Amino acid sequence: MKLPTIYRRRLTAVVLAASVTLGLAACSTASAAGGPSASDTVYFGVSAAITGQYAQYGQQFKEGFQLALDQVNASGGINGHQVGLKYEDSQSDPKQSVAVAQKFVGDTSVSLVFGDYSSAASIPASPIYTAGKLLQYGFNNSNPAFTAKGSEYQWSTSITTSASYEWTADYVKSRGVKSVGVTYLNTADWGIPAYNAFKAEAAKIGLTITDAEGVLDGSDDYRPSLTKAVGGQPDAFVHIGYGPDAAKIVSQLRAIGYKGTFYGGQDEASFDGTPDAAGSIVGAQFLETSSDSAVQAFVKAFKAKYPNEQHVTGFEAGAYDALNVAVAAAKLGGTTRDGILKGFQQVKDVPSVVYGKITFHTTTRRVASPQLTPTILTGGKWVEYKG
Amino acid sequence: MVDTLIAGLLRGNVYALGAVGISLVFGVMNVVNFAQFSFFGLGAMLAWFFVAEVGLSFWIALPLVLVICAGLGLLINITVVRPLTKFLPLAAMLSTYAVSQILDNASQIAFTAQFRVFPKVLPTSNLHLGNMRFGTSDLVMMGVTAVVMGVMAIFLKYGKIGQAIRATAQDQDAALQMGIPVGRIQHVAFVIASALGGLAGVFIALYVGVANPTSGLNVGMTAFVAATLGGLGSLGGAVVGGFVLGILEAFGIHFFGDTAREIIIFFVLIVVLIVRPGGLMGKVPLLSTEPLTGTFLGKGRPLRIPRWVWPAAFVVGGIVIPLVANNYVLTTGTQVLIYAIIAAGFTVTAGQAGVLALGQAGPIAIGAYTSALMTLYLPLSFWEALPIAGLSAAIVASILASPIWGVKGHYISIATLGIGTVIVAIIRLVEPQGIYGIPMPKWGDTLLSTPVAYYLIDFGVLVITLLVMWRIRHSHLGKVIASVGSDEVAALASGVRVRDYKALAFAISAFFSGVGGSLLAHQYTYIDPTIFTMLMSLLVVTIVIMGGVSLPYGAVVGSIILIGAMELLRFTPELRIIVYGLVLILVVRFRPGGILVRNS
Repeated sequence: MKLPTIYRRRLTAVVLAASVTLGLAACSTASAAGGPSASDTVYFGVSAAITGQYAQYGQQFKEGFQLALDQVNASGGINGHQVGLKYEDSQSDPKQSVAVAQKFVGDTSVSLVFGDYSSAASIPASPIYTAGKLLQYGFNNSNPAFTAKGSEYQWSTSITTSASYEWTADYVKSRGVKSVGVTYLNTADWGIPAYNAFKAEAAKIGLTITDAEGVLDGSDDYRPSLTKAVGGQPDAFVHIGYGPDAAKIVSQLRAIGYKGTFYGGQDEASFDGTPDAAGSIVGAQFLETSSDSAVQAFVKAFKAKYPNEQHVTGFEAGAYDALNVAVAAAKLGGTTRDGILKGFQQVKDVPSVVYGKITFHTTTRRVASPQLTPTILTGGKWVEYKG
Repeated sequence: MVDTLIAGLLRGNVYALGAVGISLVFGVMNVVNFAQFSFFGLGAMLAWFFVAEVGLSFWIALPLVLVICAGLGLLINITVVRPLTKFLPLAAMLSTYAVSQILDNASQIAFTAQFRVFPKVLPTSNLHLGNMRFGTSDLVMMGVTAVVMGVMAIFLKYGKIGQAIRATAQDQDAALQMGIPVGRIQHVAFVIASALGGLAGVFIALYVGVANPTSGLNVGMTAFVAATLGGLGSLGGAVVGGFVLGILEAFGIHFFGDTAREIIIFFVLIVVLIVRPGGLMGKVPLLSTEPLTGTFLGKGRPLRIPRWVWPAAFVVGGIVIPLVANNYVLTTGTQVLIYAIIAAGFTVTAGQAGVLALGQAGPIAIGAYTSALMTLYLPLSFWEALPIAGLSAAIVASILASPIWGVKGHYISIATLGIGTVIVAIIRLVEPQGIYGIPMPKWGDTLLSTPVAYYLIDFGVLVITLLVMWRIRHSHLGKVIASVGSDEVAALASGVRVRDYKALAFAISAFFSGVGGSLLAHQYTYIDPTIFTMLMSLLVVTIVIMGGVSLPYGAVVGSIILIGAMELLRFTPELRIIVYGLVLILVVRFRPGGILVRNS
């Protein structure tokens, strides 16, 4: 009688697997129902990548949020209400950010949602937030379309890619550079609109682009693209992209023997630590080494809370600002979904470690006239460049 | 030109190392090992950890990395892969995918997802040949590869274990009868492959300068293609494939840009497979079985489903859930339903025709784009665009796939993966900008934009899909397609035009993928090429295998488990993927033929 034993074992295994799954399900509902459900806590949702390839940024946001949250709650919260955050992992994947959006819309305790990290995940979720009359604060979404094609419920304090790369073209030209080689990320939600803005501005002011190569941030080896991009021996090089890809590109650009100035990169650990990146110039919004007292206080508090972090970047600063903006709006308009929307429409001169002060342009729902500062990477730190 | 050639050689070097590992495992175990991908990223991160954090010298760190990777490889083989190959190679392949997810995420928890700067252990730009600059680092890498390959060649030719590896690769059963301890030989092959993966990972990090736990993915994919190009199981082929691909890719990028990378890689692969269906140096399989052929039809019997279940499921899915569930559950439900539609359609190809096509993201993307563009720029409604999206996906995918149906075995999986990737890459080339404001479905003047409305639309389409699939299975056509799947040679001998029926099955599946793509597009209202990834294709395949590969209703169960489980596991975001991988392995371990299939 061997067979029945096998069947029994199989059955046990299946039952075991099923009960584990059910158990997990039970835990998840339990944890959703439990927790500090005190009615006087105001909750904001965060839709971000906690796992997956963008988890790095989710982590940085979390640190910025948490610091701001501690400070807000220590100083009495929003008119006496404590503030809490509810994180949901979207992996910055539209398939999941849509489900996360629906979850937040259905959770009546949530009165505003931050995120998502990438516009490709934020934009598909926008119609759901709009339908749920829940304000979607895409504080990191530099794609102009996020607000331009969104509704009155989409707001952002990120400078748009077009604004920052028009600035870059103007600045490069003002440095006496006549021709540039360009690489840009060939991504729909970010790199292409950025490059188009750069190209249009360059044509307007007479900056020659000797060659422009679209690249992908997941690639490892850019040498074939780079040898072509510097084939026309441009005066300088512009990379339109993020930190890790810029780190690879600047290393490989130097390895193939190009010596012109590199305009690109981002204040991000891997780029800052890349030896070849020294001397790179970008227009920055947030500057860790700024002499501004508000910035210094923020940096000091941040390093006290996270002693393992060597640098504070625009990502943490952006999240820190975002939470303060949301709190300021809630103080003004009230802590309900309606109230927060009203608050965003009225809020003025919120202190910011990125912009100094934030006031929204009410039709674009972006920061009114954001300023950039030219910065150079020296000794692993970005400092204001006045050369 | 010389610079491009050198760049190609350097990158080919890394591909060759990775490809040898993949080919080695494939040869002795007949399993495509996705976990190999993870060793690239893991090797890089371990090396970074030992050199940059612990402060060891690179030459001490390197052997340490190799030992750790080899040990992990052994562990994976003992615990997961080998026990499953006893059931079927497909289950083992699926479990290696789960293992790779677990490894990547464990590595992410250990090292965080941050990109790290890899220390410059050797100069990278101190030498030059005419205009072309390179460094000692590059020479050392080439040298190490040459030595490793030489040693491997001698070991395989003259070493006793090496000879045993070759014998096992040629014929497992015969090797066993000759007294070769096949189990131990497979362990050895896995250990070598994992160490080579780790070595390739260290080289990638050296060459690129920065690394994070997922940075091996692209190289892994390309190494996998290189192994196929050379001929799976052929180690010489893997080396040749690696270098050929590296060089062609470098020149391709030089002329067509980095965006064309995937098109170049898979174009080369497909051309080679059409000319030489067994790869450059592999033997052309005369009589090879598809990875799925016979396995499920022969080894498993579907569980008998009592008749009352159908109306009950209809009532629960179509009436109870829409009435009682909240919007969050309904939105997750729409995702489950759409993937169930795509996967149910896919059972004709995977289950009945026995072709494990890995590129369904391609037809899904065609459907999504067709539907989006037609409703935006032509006076067509969603209801008209939906079937047209399916048709155009079926037509375009069929035309593109038409040359590959002579390709056999695992090769056809990889060729279809190539087709899917190329479709998405072409879309990215032509229309890199996303499409915004795709109109939501309307009924008369009512906008159907609520989660309940989406859910009901998707549910209706799923019911129609299942009815069509049921009809096909029980028709003459279905029986002919199934005959191709269960015994291709017998079908051919009976006068069945095997190629044509495989193509037809693929077209039917592509139709439903296109319909699913259209549904996705109108619910997201925004699409861009980053949505249609290889992970999407793998998800479809996993769903189908999970439920029972030839059972359309099994796809519904698979979809509920795989997409629902991801949502259920939200309470532990950090461990989500790891738990997901473990659940996947457990299911495969105890139900290798699928949840609804009993092993016999």
